[in-house]
Amino acid sequence: MVAANSSHSNQTVLEQVGPNIIHHVSNSDITHPIIQLPSFFGIDFSVTKHVLMLWLVAFIVSIVVILPIRKYLSSNGKKKSNWVSLIEYIVEFVKDTIAAPNVGPNWVMTWTPLFLTFFFFILFANGIGMIPIFDTIGLLDRFLLKTDSHSTINNLLHGGVTATGNFNVTAGLAAVTFFSIIIAGVKKHGFIKHWANLVPHGLAWPVYIILIPIELMGLFVKPFALTMRLAANMTGGHIAILALLSLMAIIGEMFSAAAGIGVAFVSIPMAAAISGLEIIVVLVQAYVFTLLSAVFVGMAINVHH
Amino acid sequence: MDGTLLVPIGLGIVVIGAALGISKFAAAAAEAIARQPEAADKISGVVQLPLFLLEGVAILAEVFIFLMLIL
Repeated sequence: MVAANSSHSNQTVLEQVGPNIIHHVSNSDITHPIIQLPSFFGIDFSVTKHVLMLWLVAFIVSIVVILPIRKYLSSNGKKKSNWVSLIEYIVEFVKDTIAAPNVGPNWVMTWTPLFLTFFFFILFANGIGMIPIFDTIGLLDRFLLKTDSHSTINNLLHGGVTATGNFNVTAGLAAVTFFSIIIAGVKKHGFIKHWANLVPHGLAWPVYIILIPIELMGLFVKPFALTMRLAANMTGGHIAILALLSLMAIIGEMFSAAAGIGVAFVSIPMAAAISGLEIIVVLVQAYVFTLLSAVFVGMAINVHH
Repeated sequence: MDGTLLVPIGLGIVVIGAALGISKFAAAAAEAIARQPEAADKISGVVQLPLFLLEGVAILAEVFIFLMLIL
């Protein structure tokens, strides 16, 4: 990341470290996109770094998950590779542990595909973010190819990206959850009864004056918490790893180059350990998003106050 | 004292609150499983949901602190 910048500016390392880390985890500039696309209705649709990663993740998920399953289904269950067995284990896990206890046996087949989509997409998006593709390309570019600073390769750079680390992506996923809750309640209870089920029945009327605004706020706070939880977990892990690795440069500038190299013996194992922790966080966050979506959809279907 | 000096202290207080809540949950879950080992799966399933909501509280606090420091 720092090696990928061919920077000869006369700022101190301490001043460069903060913006470097921020550039690493945030989206590329909309004025220098990777592919320039036209604007519709005032929204610029150009492809930036996060959008490119989104497309890449969607492409990889469809090739890795959908194609083997189709091949297995079209052969009538005869040729089952190991990978399809693994996918089947995950599908059964989501159906039996996440969907069925929350949504109820009548609606499992309706809602399990949505939860599976969430789980696979978030798992792959988080996992691909852990692979330092763009850092490797940056190193190659800096030392081997030496393209100029506004080429396509340099636009792709400044760090590998977790697609779900951008809170707009997770806001899109949480919007799907928001509408799924409404659709689930309307399908089961009908349009008016779903909104009437928002508050429990049979309370004294002054309680409703407080309860209805609280429940309405809760409608919006739950998907908002879903977005921020996923996005902040992903971004925070990457920032922690980058800050640890930047410690070498900071100590090297503050004291001497030898001290910087000495710190490397502490900093790099710590960064490796936190990367291991990140892998656990990747799995857990995919599971948590799916579980909470299932719980919220289940709360709209089986109303119990 | 400058206002931005108190912001990390606020974050620390929120994280202490979340950590206390999560540890209470974990302790209660461990004790319940020790009383009835057959119900281990059910108890874990019930405890997981509030655990993640509490973790979400701590993460939300971190995000808001970050925004307050940047903006």
